[in-house]
Amino acid sequence: MNEQHVYTVSELNRSARERLESDFGEIWLKGEVSEMKRAASGHLYFTLKDDASEISAVRFRGRTSAFSPLALEPGTMVLALGKLTVYEPRGRYQFIASLLQPLGEGALQAAIERLKARLRDEGLFDPSHRSPLPRFPTRIGVVTSPTGAALRDVRAALERRWPIAKVFLFPTSVQGESAPDEIVAALDCAGRFSEREESLDVMILTRGGGSAEDLAAFSDERVVRAVFACPIPIVSAVGHEIDSALSDFAADVRAPTPASAGELVAPDQRELVESVEARVSRMGRRLAERFRQRSDRLRALVRPSLLRAPERRIETLEQRLDGLVERLHRGVGRALSARASQMERLVDVLRLSDPNLPLRRGYSLTYLSGSSETLRDAATAPAGAEIETRLATGRLRSRVEEVIDT
Amino acid sequence: MTIEEALAKLEAITQRLEGDELGLEEAIRLFDEGLELASTIKGRLEEAKLKVERVLEKTKNVFSLEPLDLP
Repeated sequence: MNEQHVYTVSELNRSARERLESDFGEIWLKGEVSEMKRAASGHLYFTLKDDASEISAVRFRGRTSAFSPLALEPGTMVLALGKLTVYEPRGRYQFIASLLQPLGEGALQAAIERLKARLRDEGLFDPSHRSPLPRFPTRIGVVTSPTGAALRDVRAALERRWPIAKVFLFPTSVQGESAPDEIVAALDCAGRFSEREESLDVMILTRGGGSAEDLAAFSDERVVRAVFACPIPIVSAVGHEIDSALSDFAADVRAPTPASAGELVAPDQRELVESVEARVSRMGRRLAERFRQRSDRLRALVRPSLLRAPERRIETLEQRLDGLVERLHRGVGRALSARASQMERLVDVLRLSDPNLPLRRGYSLTYLSGSSETLRDAATAPAGAEIETRLATGRLRSRVEEVIDT
Repeated sequence: MTIEEALAKLEAITQRLEGDELGLEEAIRLFDEGLELASTIKGRLEEAKLKVERVLEKTKNVFSLEPLDLP
């Protein structure tokens, strides 16, 4: 009887691993992703299958070769490069993928569509979750590449429209394998920054145009979930008009381009200045109306004949006021404060033209009885003439004893 | 006062001026206040220059800012 070698379990697994690894070497494998699990370690465990058979596969964290996490959306046909091995502790054989990409025309798009359907069913795209953007943001967070065209476009739009804002850049890469993790980290960083340092009014997540693969990071499930969970109102702007990414659906607002994101988040200061000017002229008109009402009352209160002179002054002043309001209405705003003091002076003059005011101060008006002219010259009231004096309250009738100075 | 607060205040003043119960003195006071607010808002907008800061987080929750100049 030949002496047969008795393997231990460990020996067998090791031997099987060595043979599989050397016999197969690096191979291409195609199959459909059927299950995917991301371990806390960052490794990805998934199953590849075809009609009849399946195999466990793993993708270790930190490989640098091309890899689209979206390729792992269950149902996607993928092409994988890797090697066959045995996981010795369990005696399980598995495929270690180093490169993985969706297989065939439109496969990436199809994978995105499947993920989109799944996330929609979960309610991530539900409009009821969307919050409105603030009208006048002062602190704007931007998550994008520090060197990309997107940042330049957002910045140019804000410089032109709303330079009062302060932009906080949370830098991240926007394409490649590490992009989803970096974007998620940048969003998280922005959330904590907003909570602890300077509260952000709105966020923009953006990148410029690129290939479908370049844009895919913004359709990554982790990114979409982070956008959904973002505590700050967020605008997603990925690529050009025709491009879209799943982050657009989870965001509060989608903008077609980075530049339009910059326009969407902020008002145009020119429009705002115009509306402020319109408001000022509205106020001016209301005030002018009040003056008019007031002077009408004034005219009704005192005998017009007694007060012709002040009345003329009021009319002149009213005209001046009208002219001023007219100019305010036309609203060229540079000299606003100069106008304000002009208005103030006018208001003072108008106040002083109130004939009751000097009377309250102790001055009085004197008439010859039966006349409506105020006396200005002592010579016009000879001794013995009856005169009437109007005080702040009441009147006096007197007779002139003597004319002292002429 | 933020721009938003100033605008809200200006709006409130305009509305009060449009109400009918105001006396002249009160109307003038409000008008003055409104003009003041309007010129504050405009002045702030005219002087404004966009600031861009890059946020760095060296260790968790310890942030520093670095002005980012236009390339």
